[in-house]
Amino acid sequence: MAKHADLSIDFLGFKCENPFFLSSSPVSGTYEMCAKFLEAGGGGVFYKTLTTTIPEECSPRFDVQRKEATPFISFKNMEQTSDKPYQDNLDAMKKLKENYPNKLIIGSIMGMDEDNWEEMARDYTALGIDMLELNFSCPQMTYEGMGSDVGASVELIDKYVRAARRGSNLPLIAKMTPNIEKMEIPARAAINAGAQAISTINTIKAITGMDFDHFTALPVVNGKSSISGLSGKATKPIALRFITNMAQDSELKDIPLSGIGGIETWEDAAEFIMAGASNVQFTTSVMQYGYRIVEDMISGLSIYLAEKGFDKLEDFVGIALKNIIPADDIERDFKILPQINYDKCVNCGRCYISCFDAAHQAIEWDNKNRKPTIDENKCVGCQLCLQVCPVYDCITPGKVLFKEEDQFGMGSKTKWKDNAVNKHDVIVGKYDRP
Amino acid sequence: MSNSNNVGVKEGISLKPSQGYLEETVTPFTPFLAMEEAARCLLCYNPPCSEGCPADTNPGDFIRAIRFRNFKGAAEIIRSNNILGGVCARVCPYEKTCEGACERSGIDKPIQIGRLQRYITDFEKTTGFQVLDPPPSTKEKVAMIGAGPASLSAAATLAMKGYSVTIFEEKKKAGGVLSYGIVPARLPQYVVDEEIEYVTNLGVEIKLNTKVGKDITLDEIRNQGYKAILLGAGMQISRTLDVPGLDLEGVTTAVEYLGKARSNDKDFNPGKNVVVIGGGDVALDCATTARLKDAESVTVLYRRTREEAPANRQELEYTESLGINFAFTLSPAVFEGENGKLTTIKANGTRNKSAMKLEADTVVFAIGQQPEDFSKVVEGIGLDKNNFVTSLENGKTNIPDIFVAGDIDLDSIKTVVNSVQGGKIAAKSIEEYLTKAGRKQASCSPMHPKGGK
Ligand SMILES: Cc1cc2nc3c(=O)[nH]c(=O)nc-3n(C[C@H](O)[C@H](O)[C@H](O)COP(=O)(O)OP(=O)(O)OC[C@H]3O[C@@H](n4cnc5c(N)ncnc54)[C@H](O)[C@@H]3O)c2cc1C
Ligand SMILES: Cc1cc2nc3c(=O)[nH]c(=O)nc-3n(C[C@H](O)[C@H](O)[C@H](O)COP(=O)(O)O)c2cc1C
Ligand code: SF4
Ligand code: SF4
Ligand code: SF4
Repeated sequence: MAKHADLSIDFLGFKCENPFFLSSSPVSGTYEMCAKFLEAGGGGVFYKTLTTTIPEECSPRFDVQRKEATPFISFKNMEQTSDKPYQDNLDAMKKLKENYPNKLIIGSIMGMDEDNWEEMARDYTALGIDMLELNFSCPQMTYEGMGSDVGASVELIDKYVRAARRGSNLPLIAKMTPNIEKMEIPARAAINAGAQAISTINTIKAITGMDFDHFTALPVVNGKSSISGLSGKATKPIALRFITNMAQDSELKDIPLSGIGGIETWEDAAEFIMAGASNVQFTTSVMQYGYRIVEDMISGLSIYLAEKGFDKLEDFVGIALKNIIPADDIERDFKILPQINYDKCVNCGRCYISCFDAAHQAIEWDNKNRKPTIDENKCVGCQLCLQVCPVYDCITPGKVLFKEEDQFGMGSKTKWKDNAVNKHDVIVGKYDRP
Repeated sequence: MSNSNNVGVKEGISLKPSQGYLEETVTPFTPFLAMEEAARCLLCYNPPCSEGCPADTNPGDFIRAIRFRNFKGAAEIIRSNNILGGVCARVCPYEKTCEGACERSGIDKPIQIGRLQRYITDFEKTTGFQVLDPPPSTKEKVAMIGAGPASLSAAATLAMKGYSVTIFEEKKKAGGVLSYGIVPARLPQYVVDEEIEYVTNLGVEIKLNTKVGKDITLDEIRNQGYKAILLGAGMQISRTLDVPGLDLEGVTTAVEYLGKARSNDKDFNPGKNVVVIGGGDVALDCATTARLKDAESVTVLYRRTREEAPANRQELEYTESLGINFAFTLSPAVFEGENGKLTTIKANGTRNKSAMKLEADTVVFAIGQQPEDFSKVVEGIGLDKNNFVTSLENGKTNIPDIFVAGDIDLDSIKTVVNSVQGGKIAAKSIEEYLTKAGRKQASCSPMHPKGGK
């Protein structure tokens, strides 16, 4: 068999078989469900969040965003915490740990007040599970002072982390809400109050779409609807940004991070790890495809790491952080012209339309031969055409032109020279891996 | 390049009017198209496509791997189950195997599994991704007769378990029908060569130009220390009909005609007026070969109707689109010639009193094959009246150290993918046999060699 790297990695002192976990949600809602995922190869589970009072749920409670025929671009839910009896859930977590001692079993709690946080922490600790996740981030709780209300308040976070700490000596992971501009601030508060790690993102407050007959948001619950949490692939870019922010924060940079948000493939997972997460969690992709997706995460990531020569996953954690820099440090003295491979071009004209209507009118269109030609002077190298072209590897990055010296602020009037590649080699990204 | 002038009817076929004999007919997927096709897959539970694959190539799993952008994992799934994955991707009768079982047909049309499999095996090659990493060969020596798909598959399976395998092949090229039968438009030679190289890179030795029974005997093989022998000799004899004029120059068989076309591209004479007899895929291969090699007129003569012809429908339509004539419910009655050379074929209706006379300088029999007689080569081997080996279960024969796989096995389905599976199964039986024999030997060997107590 091909070489596969070892994916085991430490998380707060626990040696995880691999970095792939179910996030706290209905996909981790019973013993049997978690067990099936662990049997499929998953490294651990964050069990569905409990509250001591079972919430009332609505029906229907989900909506999906489609783009053309593709479903689940993003996913909206109106669910709250577990709808199963508290004690049944505690029993399930206990049994999971007993039967899967080598897998990471984490319980997620959400208290109503300080006493309740402390009491739940104590109940969970007695189960023998590995860690606690503190849910400060559900955006659709029907009780005030719970869920993402907490995640946005430094005072509440401080109070509740301390309360949980009083009830438990287990490692505490604070699950943060993305419904906020700077996550570093509440995250620091959680760490200062005694949490050991941060997990994020929980869902983003959103509306996926409207109903055109009942004039409300989706899903329609007897004629009405609410703003509630969005998850799935479309949220990944936002989640990656939060993880990067925290991994680069001076106070948080040594705090272990657990990345969540739109993870579907091994590549998605690898992206979070590159951005500083030491493991990842997922829900929506499992809702759509089932636990088996973890098989390709394991296979794909272990082959990739072996090929890149990483001996242990740890060495890969945060590897991209030094290359993600402030926008004003980005080099801006060259442009990369796209080049069209006419053997592949199917003469659709999409590049021409996008360049004319949305870029710099730099593509000329020969209507008779249906042939696009790039005007090097007008082209600014934005590469919109390259992204739009429907043919694989038809438009690719081509010639590099450098600015003539000292033309700051010339904009489209800038002069370019052709032979200046001597300055330095330009590293070009691949816009779609094979 | 615009696809607007395609006249092909087969999915993915880009048949240009000037299609060459050596040009592969089906175009490969680009990465975008492969993703699009994988996204069409319903990702079924217990995927029926996987159950439909005779060689357990596991399309359900490898398509899912593509969908989740795990291309190398997909390559691993294919290659570790089917050593001839790239060949099968091109020649499998998908409509009867994986694609025939595909649930997507309930919505519109099946997933193009063969083309996805080809995309991944091509990707594996272009990226140089090495799936199989064989252990050193420390176990017994195993010999195989014939280097076709059955032996290649068995050899790879055993090499991966540490056995040292030698294949004896009478021809100057390995591959069996892959190198001497199937037309390059469907299976280019480089694909065959690369997959054979894959097998030899696992440590398997192929001795070419060595016919067992002529250049080496079975006893010699046994005496050289081979502890088990696989018979994978295929079907080398073409059936013909008892028609007057059979010995005229210009009367030939499919295996001979295709083999010549494929191996000596320049000297091969396709004939001017060619008649092919038969209604299966091999007959169509002969007809397209004649056409693509510029025969002037090509006619396929078949004794039953078009509907009854066993040939693949898409291939049949494709062949028709090349301008090849078909004459159904007709059977040859007599071949006539001048100076020993074929000039005319007379055929009679099989269902009525029709009669037909065709000018022809070449007639190709494509009505089936059968194995050579191995009763002298492997003495005592159980054979049926047509020389097929009557196997016991799982590739075992009535002789303990002789195993069988592929077309020569009476019970086999005569395709490449079934031969691959036959090879895998026989390899397992060989392993069991050698492990047992090894254990017996160990327990029989005296504990105290000097006889003392
Ligand atoms: C024209 C043609 C087209 C076909 N097209 C398809 C197709 O599209 N798809 C498909 O799935 N199947 C196809 N088949 C069937 C398929 O090729 C066979 O089922 C398959 O090749 C059988 O494999 P094998 O290893 O049993 O035998 P073979 O491929 O026949 O290989 C046997 C080998 O043994 C060698 N040999 C024989 N006797 C000896 C001896 N005494 N000593 C040493 N070597 C010996 C032969 O030279 C040969 O190389 C086709 C067959 C033909 C003839
Ligand atoms: C239906 C549903 C219910 C969820 N319930 C919880 C929960 O009880 N506790 C929690 O911490 N997060 C909950 N989440 C949030 C997920 O754990 C996760 O943070 C979020 O969905 C983003 O990941 P994803 O894009 O992989 O789904 C829920 C998400 C969904 C879709
Ligand atoms: S978008 Fe691509 S295929 Fe279409 S005209 Fe432009 S270069 Fe050609
Ligand atoms: S080996 Fe052939 S039958 Fe099996 S999945 Fe591949 S193409 Fe289909
Ligand atoms: S049967 Fe068809 S749709 Fe279902 S998994 Fe297989 S290829 Fe996909």
